[in-house]
Amino acid sequence: MGKIVMSDNVQKRRGFIFPPYILLLFPAVSFMLLVYAYPFVSSVLKSFINKEGALSLDNYFKAWDLYLKDILFTFSITVFNTIASGIVAILLAVYFRLHESPISRFLLNLYRLPIFIPFVVVAQMMNSFLAPHGLLNVALAQLRLIDLNNPLQLFNFIGLSFGFIWKLAPFTILIIYGGFQMIDNSYIEAGRSAGAKWFKLITRILIPMNKPSIMVALVLIYSQIVGTFTLPYMLIGGKIPTTITVDIAHRVNYFRDFGVANALGVFSYILVFVTAIYYLKTKVKEVK
Amino acid sequence: MTSLVLWSIADKWFWPNPVPQSIGLDYWKQALGIQKSLAIGAVSIVPAFFLSLMIAVITVVIAMAIAIPAGYALAKYKIPFGTFILFLFLMPNAFPQQPIFVNLLDTFTKIGLAGTVPGVIIVHILVGLVFGVWITSATFKSIPVQLEEAARSVGANSLKTFFRISLPLAAPGLLASSVFVFITSLDEFTGTFFIGLPFVITLPMTLYSSSGYNMQFASVIAIILLIPSILFMTLIQRVLKAEYVGGMG
Repeated sequence: MGKIVMSDNVQKRRGFIFPPYILLLFPAVSFMLLVYAYPFVSSVLKSFINKEGALSLDNYFKAWDLYLKDILFTFSITVFNTIASGIVAILLAVYFRLHESPISRFLLNLYRLPIFIPFVVVAQMMNSFLAPHGLLNVALAQLRLIDLNNPLQLFNFIGLSFGFIWKLAPFTILIIYGGFQMIDNSYIEAGRSAGAKWFKLITRILIPMNKPSIMVALVLIYSQIVGTFTLPYMLIGGKIPTTITVDIAHRVNYFRDFGVANALGVFSYILVFVTAIYYLKTKVKEVK
Repeated sequence: MTSLVLWSIADKWFWPNPVPQSIGLDYWKQALGIQKSLAIGAVSIVPAFFLSLMIAVITVVIAMAIAIPAGYALAKYKIPFGTFILFLFLMPNAFPQQPIFVNLLDTFTKIGLAGTVPGVIIVHILVGLVFGVWITSATFKSIPVQLEEAARSVGANSLKTFFRISLPLAAPGLLASSVFVFITSLDEFTGTFFIGLPFVITLPMTLYSSSGYNMQFASVIAIILLIPSILFMTLIQRVLKAEYVGGMG
């Protein structure tokens, strides 16, 4: 690539117009090739190389033996939270779209807050909120719903889901509500005058007309949940079962075992494969 | 959801002391280095704060310097192998990034970049660059071609057109994307965790290391990290359309 850039200048002097986008794209593309594409490819390749440096599936067998439970846990966490965030988001987006009141306007401003709060802060919030003697348990005990000597243990599937939905549902609302805003009022009024109740309005008009943005939102949060390291690491840590991302960190930090870490990485690629392809396809179509 | 938001904020306000019988600013004082404490995890966060700030500023400058030309090229030219280049900038959103950091750690260890500030900056640029390119590209795309053609027709060359027409018109979007990259760098956890630790300790790292040992202290840092994010939100509501935030995924 370096040669091309030099010949670009030379050729310009001779009066030949070299496409300027090569020069414009060169720094960013070469950065991405070096710091993104190269590690991406090597993460896949190195997962097939065992400790002796030979080509083998050892890393996969080991990852499968040790972490099958965690792979399934990651998958179920991801699917559950994608669907749950999707349902919460669709209901709230519908509410914002169909109701105009001071309360809905207030909520409309408020709901965005978690989008901008980084995962590490969300994790700390959830740590203090969901802890055995955290705010949630203390509050429930005050209401005499639980006994503080036997508090709810929430640093598991439930607590993690709580954190994910808290952080990701707002982002999902943002995209889906944006799509709902594009739908002309006349469709909704036509539906209403034809006697459709709110449930029918949602399932027959709003969701079908807004399918692309709902799909993109779901695909994005699905990929994000699979790849999130901070929240499960700080909330669940090394307990069993935990997520793939936490296992990768353990493999690297305690054992310097890049082979199995990469095999686990490939498992996480496989988990997002379908959604990733869908995302790439829609995005490329959109840009072109 | 309101209750969640309100709870978490109430949570934060409570935390300098868990039982509101003795609310105090002791932990704030410790965090800001005014008061010394021997408790685990209670170190002054002032150095970490300035380190985070420095890394974020350098990241913004470098990332935007390479993102603006790339975003412009993607918006204005028809590029051969365009799909491949688009893929390159889209894949980090579609696939988990953690394996990338793990392999960068492997490479960086060999070339002596692991555990150094430049190594961390490179990772932050990687995370920020993708957003930077997409937001700038969307911004340049929203500028009508006619304006640029008009400038050219009155004799401006392409460089002059860019600096006199496209750049000023794109300024709000470029500013927004710089702020975006800045916040991303400030909050970045996973990449710094792998590449930076144990030597490069940014603000999110101090939060991580005190979380679980010293809850009050961790909450103080969490609030400090929260402030720029909330400021950004008010900014985005005034200056930006919602479409930019879509990149946050």
